[in-house]
Amino acid sequence: MSYTFTILSPHDTPLFTHTFGTSRSSGTGTPAFTTADLALNPFIIHSALDIVEEVQWGPSSTSGSAPMYLKHIDKYQNNFISCWITGGNVRFLLLTRPRDEALGISAANPSSGSASSIYSTGSGAGSVRGSLAGGRAGLGGGAGMYNPTSPATEEAVKNFFVDVYESWVKTIMNPFFAVGHGDVVKSPVFRARVQAAAKKYL
Amino acid sequence: MTPLQDATPKPPQYPADLEASMVLPKQRASPASSLASLPYRRSNPSLQKLFESTASISGSRPSSGTATPTASVVPSSVFSQASTQNGTGTPGSLPPGVSDEHRNLIQRAFVPHVAVLADEATEAMLRGKGLEGGLLQLLRPFGELVPGKVTIRDSIGASKSHEDFGIRFVGVRDGLVPPTSAGRNSELRMDTVTGQGAGGRISSGVPRPQRTGGHVRQIEELVDRHLQYSEFNTHDMVPDYLNHKEAPSQSDTSSSPFHTLYLRRLLSGLPVVSHETFAHPVACVIAVSSRHPNPTEEIRKLYALQHDGALRMPQFVENDYLRYYVLVHDEETGDIAHSNQTFESMKRHFGFHCHLLRLKSQQCIPSDDDSVRLPICEWMSAAEELAEIQKRETTDDISDPTPYLPDSDITAIRTFVRELVVQSVVPNMERKVATWNEQVLARRRGLSGRFMSLSKRWTPFGSSRNSSSPTVGSSSNYDSIQEFYRPDAPEALMRKLADYCFMLRDFKLALSTYDILRTDFNNDKAWRHYAGAVEMAALSALLSTSPLSSKTRTENIDSWIEAAVYSYTDRQLKPTPYYALRTLALGLELLRLRGSSAADDAARWASRILETGIVGPVGHALFTERISTCYSIRTGIGSMNLGARRRKAAFWSVLAAETWLRLSKALQAERCLDTALRLYNFNTENASGAVKLPFPQMQAFIDDLRQQILGLRLEIRGFEEGDEGEGDAVQQSLMVEEATETLDKSPRAHRKSLIGAPPPPIDVGPLSPMLERGEGRRDDQFE
Repeated sequence: MSYTFTILSPHDTPLFTHTFGTSRSSGTGTPAFTTADLALNPFIIHSALDIVEEVQWGPSSTSGSAPMYLKHIDKYQNNFISCWITGGNVRFLLLTRPRDEALGISAANPSSGSASSIYSTGSGAGSVRGSLAGGRAGLGGGAGMYNPTSPATEEAVKNFFVDVYESWVKTIMNPFFAVGHGDVVKSPVFRARVQAAAKKYL
Repeated sequence: MTPLQDATPKPPQYPADLEASMVLPKQRASPASSLASLPYRRSNPSLQKLFESTASISGSRPSSGTATPTASVVPSSVFSQASTQNGTGTPGSLPPGVSDEHRNLIQRAFVPHVAVLADEATEAMLRGKGLEGGLLQLLRPFGELVPGKVTIRDSIGASKSHEDFGIRFVGVRDGLVPPTSAGRNSELRMDTVTGQGAGGRISSGVPRPQRTGGHVRQIEELVDRHLQYSEFNTHDMVPDYLNHKEAPSQSDTSSSPFHTLYLRRLLSGLPVVSHETFAHPVACVIAVSSRHPNPTEEIRKLYALQHDGALRMPQFVENDYLRYYVLVHDEETGDIAHSNQTFESMKRHFGFHCHLLRLKSQQCIPSDDDSVRLPICEWMSAAEELAEIQKRETTDDISDPTPYLPDSDITAIRTFVRELVVQSVVPNMERKVATWNEQVLARRRGLSGRFMSLSKRWTPFGSSRNSSSPTVGSSSNYDSIQEFYRPDAPEALMRKLADYCFMLRDFKLALSTYDILRTDFNNDKAWRHYAGAVEMAALSALLSTSPLSSKTRTENIDSWIEAAVYSYTDRQLKPTPYYALRTLALGLELLRLRGSSAADDAARWASRILETGIVGPVGHALFTERISTCYSIRTGIGSMNLGARRRKAAFWSVLAAETWLRLSKALQAERCLDTALRLYNFNTENASGAVKLPFPQMQAFIDDLRQQILGLRLEIRGFEEGDEGEGDAVQQSLMVEEATETLDKSPRAHRKSLIGAPPPPIDVGPLSPMLERGEGRRDDQFE
């Protein structure tokens, strides 16, 4: 399970990006993206903004207040995107790339393309036995398929987003941080908090 | 990074960059390696003509938003247009659903098939005129578009005129696939290559599979040929550059000509199968020469041969279709009085469906006064076109082998075709539709019909069934061993009725009939028939002009397409991926035309094509590009353009550019990349002109891609500057003959040897479409 977390300004400028792997179930927290994946991820995240806008301005799924957590909104091949949107129209996007076994694809299968070269990190993917976000809950079904809309996954992602949101609010309350100008977040404290949240929930 | 990589806001800057970089010494590093296995390509003018004409027919009109079908053959080369970068244009200026190009294409693909059978004397006379293929070759191009309007009455009696109606002339046993292999064995392929120009169809009972379409591999190969041709022949960018400036930023709703070509070849040469009757002959033209001493007797002989002799269609094809008798009169040697007399007696014998076709028997040469070149068939199958290209590539003859005809012949044939269609084929189909509608469909639809269909499922109604209809046996009519319905079974008749309605463009009746058939086939577990009915139900619902609520669309059509694809591929022993691809490709085109909200679905089906892996590498690239156009047709609301899909469109364009690059198609890659940049640029709305991508990684990726494309183009140009080897053509032809027909997912071995430069290892697996960037090419070419 590998993640890319990106905070995007209302003008689509990335303010903060963090790539990490799952820490659940003996995961080391290192992402298992290939270089190709890493190059592609910004494109996927950026293209998901179309859907974010649609969900954001579309009819609300909950009655009354508009939710900040938009849940799973988009998917490109095996990359799933979840979104959290703040009051200031800053978008938190989390790209989830489940490990191949969780998708029903055997990693040894040569048809999965560059999969053989992906997992050179070894401990990154093969030994990871499910994370809270999808892994363990999904395994209950027996097939072990990753399901982005399963309650456990949604809850885990939500907890992560709530934690990050709290840190984010504290960061932008800093009077020296000009959030309106699309300032990139450089604060090491913020990064550490995001890492902590990721370790805790994902 | 070098200044080359400045993101170009406007395409015209591009050639200038190219010129500038040409002086770098390293780029010509080793053209020899790529030279070795590149096909010999440029020197044959007749070949060029073939490529030009085929692809220009295939409809790349730069005009935006024309709803007229492409009837005229634009003489200009398509490849000059292919390199202009007006691929999709800005989506903001694009009214949704404005270009009817693909709708017309689909309508013109499903047309009545008319078999052609001529006697030996006629064939001999036409061979003397230089037409190796005989009468069929002569008639085929003219059937594709019937001159003038054709008026068709639909089931409720309303007449409608169509400008672009056509029929397809086929050989008597064309389109038959050997039942054992479902048309994917390699002998078939060998036949394709070697069976060129064998005349005398009448005596040979063997099927000529060359005119049968339905081979995804061949379509891929053909489009690849066209692409390669465009790569190697439009290296000279200057005229395009000028042309491009004259028509700036014209939004072009039509897709790339190669995609249109792909679709057209997908729909050409529909195989004769039991689960759909489009390729079953609606009529048969039996032609006899007036030279024959006893034409009437000869006609009888041919009729018998075709009705129950060696040339009979397989069992599942209804045999009592219309026969149309033609007396071919030789203007130069024949005696017109005698011919008229014979014709009169023919009319007395055979009734109304006769025609006297007057042709000149002498061979016509291009320099003759009123000679006209025989038009090229638009709807030939991929195998046929491949064979044609190959023939011209390997031949040393400079001259164009296409025969020329005198003007009077052309007029005579046009009149004949029009008369055949307007007076015989269409009225006959109308009549049959009316009859079946009354006798089969109404009965099935009525109360007793419902009981009937119920009674098949529930035995308690068995007693009422026997009294109501004697035609339905106690069990179903489906022959599950041979997998067909007898042609006189009500299901088969209804299917035929629906197909006739579809061909006559009465989509409403077609839809309701397919809908009934759907349930029947489902009950009989006739999965291929079920898939066919569901596919056509979806298509006729999408083709009908009535507005479609989004609820019907999502509930019916989506599930229909899904069911069709599933039933074509997974539900049967012999999967038919060709039909699944057809369903998806046509469904996506029609959905795309349905306006913005359907465009998402269209894109979804397109990505389904990619995921299921039913297309090869060329199709993969084309459909990736197509997803981008599907998204870009979706326009947003208001000043913020909410709900638009520009970012997605741009993303898929980038993916397409990358895929093209991996296939070493620099022009296409470049076009896609420019489209992507335009879309990204529109998004950010900055006035400075330079495209600034939000993510630095994205910028780097695009710059890198741009540079690789440049490198590839220089490589191609390097090839152009070298000398060309004669032996390559031979080598190429050998290679093509060896190609197997299997539809495996990575037919990369051949491709690798076709294209000289070793392409990076490619994967089409759904998992990771991207390749590791920074291939070795960069290292030895740049920096």
